[in-house]
Amino acid sequence: MDEKKLLELCDELVTSARRGGADEAEAVAGSSRHVQTALENDDVHTAHVNEETTFGLRVLVRGSLGFVTANRLDRESLRACIDEAIAQARVMPTDPFNGLPISGPPAEVPGLWDDAVAAVTVEDTATRAVELMERVKGVDSRVRVDSGSVSAGTHRGALVSSAGTRVTECSTSIDAHLFGMAVDGDEVASFDYDGEASRAFHGFEAKLGELGERFARKCLFGLGAERARSYKGLVLLSPEAVAEFVLPSLTSVMAADAVRKGRSPLASKFGEAIATESFTLIDDPTRAGAVGSTATDREGVPTRRLALVERGVLQSFLFNHYEARALGNGARSTGHASGSASTLPGIATMQLELAAGSTPLAKLRDGGSQPIVYVGRFSGSTNAVTGDFSGVVKNGSLIERGKETAIKETTIAGNLYELLRSIVGVSTERRAVNGVTTTPSLLIDGISVTAG
Amino acid sequence: MRGQDGFVELRYHSKTSRSVQVEKGRVERTQFRRRSGVGVRVLDAGGWGFASTGSLDARSVRAAVDAARAAARASARGRRGTPPKLARGQLARGVFEMPGIADVLDRPLEEKIGMATRFEEVARNGSSSIRSASCGYSEIYEEKAIVTSDGAEVATRLVRPELRVQAIAERDGQLSSGFESIGSTGGWECLFRDASGEELAERAAAKATDLLSAKHPEGGRTTVILAPSIVGLLVHEAIGHTVEADFVQAGSVAAGKIGRRVASDLVTLSDSGISEFYHGAGGTIPVDDEGVIAGNTTIIRDGVLVSYLHNRESAAKFGVEPTGNARAWEYSDQPLIRMRNTYLSPGRQTLEEMIAGTTDGYLLEGARNGQADSTGEFMFGVQEARRIRNGKLAELVRGVSITGIAFEVLGTVDAVSNEFRWDLGSGYCGKGQPAKVDAGGPYIRCRALLGGEQ
Repeated sequence: MDEKKLLELCDELVTSARRGGADEAEAVAGSSRHVQTALENDDVHTAHVNEETTFGLRVLVRGSLGFVTANRLDRESLRACIDEAIAQARVMPTDPFNGLPISGPPAEVPGLWDDAVAAVTVEDTATRAVELMERVKGVDSRVRVDSGSVSAGTHRGALVSSAGTRVTECSTSIDAHLFGMAVDGDEVASFDYDGEASRAFHGFEAKLGELGERFARKCLFGLGAERARSYKGLVLLSPEAVAEFVLPSLTSVMAADAVRKGRSPLASKFGEAIATESFTLIDDPTRAGAVGSTATDREGVPTRRLALVERGVLQSFLFNHYEARALGNGARSTGHASGSASTLPGIATMQLELAAGSTPLAKLRDGGSQPIVYVGRFSGSTNAVTGDFSGVVKNGSLIERGKETAIKETTIAGNLYELLRSIVGVSTERRAVNGVTTTPSLLIDGISVTAG
Repeated sequence: MRGQDGFVELRYHSKTSRSVQVEKGRVERTQFRRRSGVGVRVLDAGGWGFASTGSLDARSVRAAVDAARAAARASARGRRGTPPKLARGQLARGVFEMPGIADVLDRPLEEKIGMATRFEEVARNGSSSIRSASCGYSEIYEEKAIVTSDGAEVATRLVRPELRVQAIAERDGQLSSGFESIGSTGGWECLFRDASGEELAERAAAKATDLLSAKHPEGGRTTVILAPSIVGLLVHEAIGHTVEADFVQAGSVAAGKIGRRVASDLVTLSDSGISEFYHGAGGTIPVDDEGVIAGNTTIIRDGVLVSYLHNRESAAKFGVEPTGNARAWEYSDQPLIRMRNTYLSPGRQTLEEMIAGTTDGYLLEGARNGQADSTGEFMFGVQEARRIRNGKLAELVRGVSITGIAFEVLGTVDAVSNEFRWDLGSGYCGKGQPAKVDAGGPYIRCRALLGGEQ
């Protein structure tokens, strides 16, 4: 369904909802097409073709909320969904903070659509999946691809609200993922995964080649892993570990709903140092062509570049429209309403960047006589409310006196908010993890390392 | 289907879910979600293709079959190995309807909102240290019809309600959290079989309050007694994933070990589509998404590995019967090998005997999350742990994770209690797409590595 038809669908939903008793209504619709070839057990397995159009309808009746999402677009199904949404709103309590934002027109974010990606066929993905496998196997045949995929897709979206918001956006994406491990005789190394994503076709083939080789090297590194030794001290987090372990928990407690509900340890820390001066974190969904970029958030509010932490000092929380109204005092949405046609607006970052440091990675890895555990990935549990974390080092190594040994059965434990204040080095080199989080490596002191 | 080349599988799949979220005394949101359509798999020219459509008219379904066939030919051109074959297995015919559907769906929304509001209030008032609480109720209703060109012709209906309660406590600027969750396949009498919502809310609040004063554990290898929820995580994460036949073929640690001892002889471990021991396990399915009857598969018997978990394709490769483990989350997902209700069989001892027989160790309760590796290494987050000193329960500790090598840890099991509990019914397994699962067992005692302070 094209943008014009999606707008017509949204118009019909909003108009019908208001006729049916809603005081306010917002309709979001999305139409996507997706082609993919999946790899399994070192071979091409299944080629997929999917197309779907879904919508979400949010209604307010005397300040009470109802929400429905569905993918059936026939008249009878649409009518039933509208009735369901209004029926919900009629039994929900009134909430003075419910409302729909009134937003100005967004600035265009260039580079979200590429005709070359839109033209990718399922046959193309099969060809590239084979090439990706060959790259992996070309490094070392001991690397096994348990699963993987090469995908391409288009997405068209529209939003109409009774408050006057009316936006559309079209985007493309192409991505590849690998999951597997190295097997050498009876020895099975730790699994690893890796991926690349892009909005544009140009340059993606080169990324595909790099992905295959990088993945294979990561898997091979786990062969011959030994147990580390227990100590309290230095740990070096890879960009993947920072992106998947540190930042998600941190940004979850920066969401205004976590603050309001008493689930954020940062609630009273606005304007205070929560990390070392070397830590500067920005969310920028206006970056041209970036995978997480978008002109408007889930509610149609224009996105913007937002400094979350600057030189260690907390600069901002993340708001959607509801949380801004709940805070009051003229607070406004920061354009961080997350979600899709299938969900009510939540709160999330979109395109994170952690600033590079001033120390080359090679120097960070040189602890001299002090041991450093390098964490390729962290497989563990983090309680964002308390900050306590504990888990296993994956694809990691022990670096000591110039020698590096792959390790297994080694855990790290500590507190996330103490970790942020214990950063002793930030690398100059950064990596974009899955296209949406760009981060350097971080050297942390004071972490408990327990070897099995 | 008539006159079609190759193998064709059509799966009509409708999934309707409703949820209510209450937090800090306020009904935050309610949502209703419906997804329905037809997923089509075709095995043709030696390759698999998959396509789906949200439209149910014959023209759209035929178009999806054509698209799946074209995709199958594209994948066949890239394939290097032998063409896939399918083992037949016990293909289902007829209608399978699980109990409790009317009980859940016919209750008005006001009742569900009222219930969640009540439980949140109980948790919030659980102690003077509680700063905030939340309660979420949700339910999933599924209808499926699966028809294959080689004889499956089956319809199924089931409902899965679940409930989560969380409390956050605060004292002197320190925060701690406690949560309880339940999930079942069936009506509310299954959901609240072991405890009422009020009891769960009280427990969540008590946990959060008690953990405020808990210290962190010392890290190191130690004796642990695992509660059923942690046993559930162990059997699901540490063993279950390694015996999924697709992972076995890629080289998981379970590969080549059929017939070999992998655990103590006190360990018998199974995965079942049936809710064994009592009704309501959260991963119950009568038929899998290839139309195969979903029975009980013993994976480890008295410590010996005896079976993997299969779909029709892997069963053909291994020369065995399919085990009914092919599952798809929604109509637009293709079926993958997934677990259902995974459990350890009960033994003979009592928990009291096991604690009394432990000189130094921990009792671990309250599963948080878990992950497992191809090496058999697993990690579980645990909500709370109690130190055991000289056969008696002692101080509470927090921020605990345990890890180990699955088959090595199972080899150290030296005590298994005589009770049984399904305890992960609110759990979702992730493997590219979600799956509703359950897991559980008795209490067991074994050795593992505790992550903690140095």
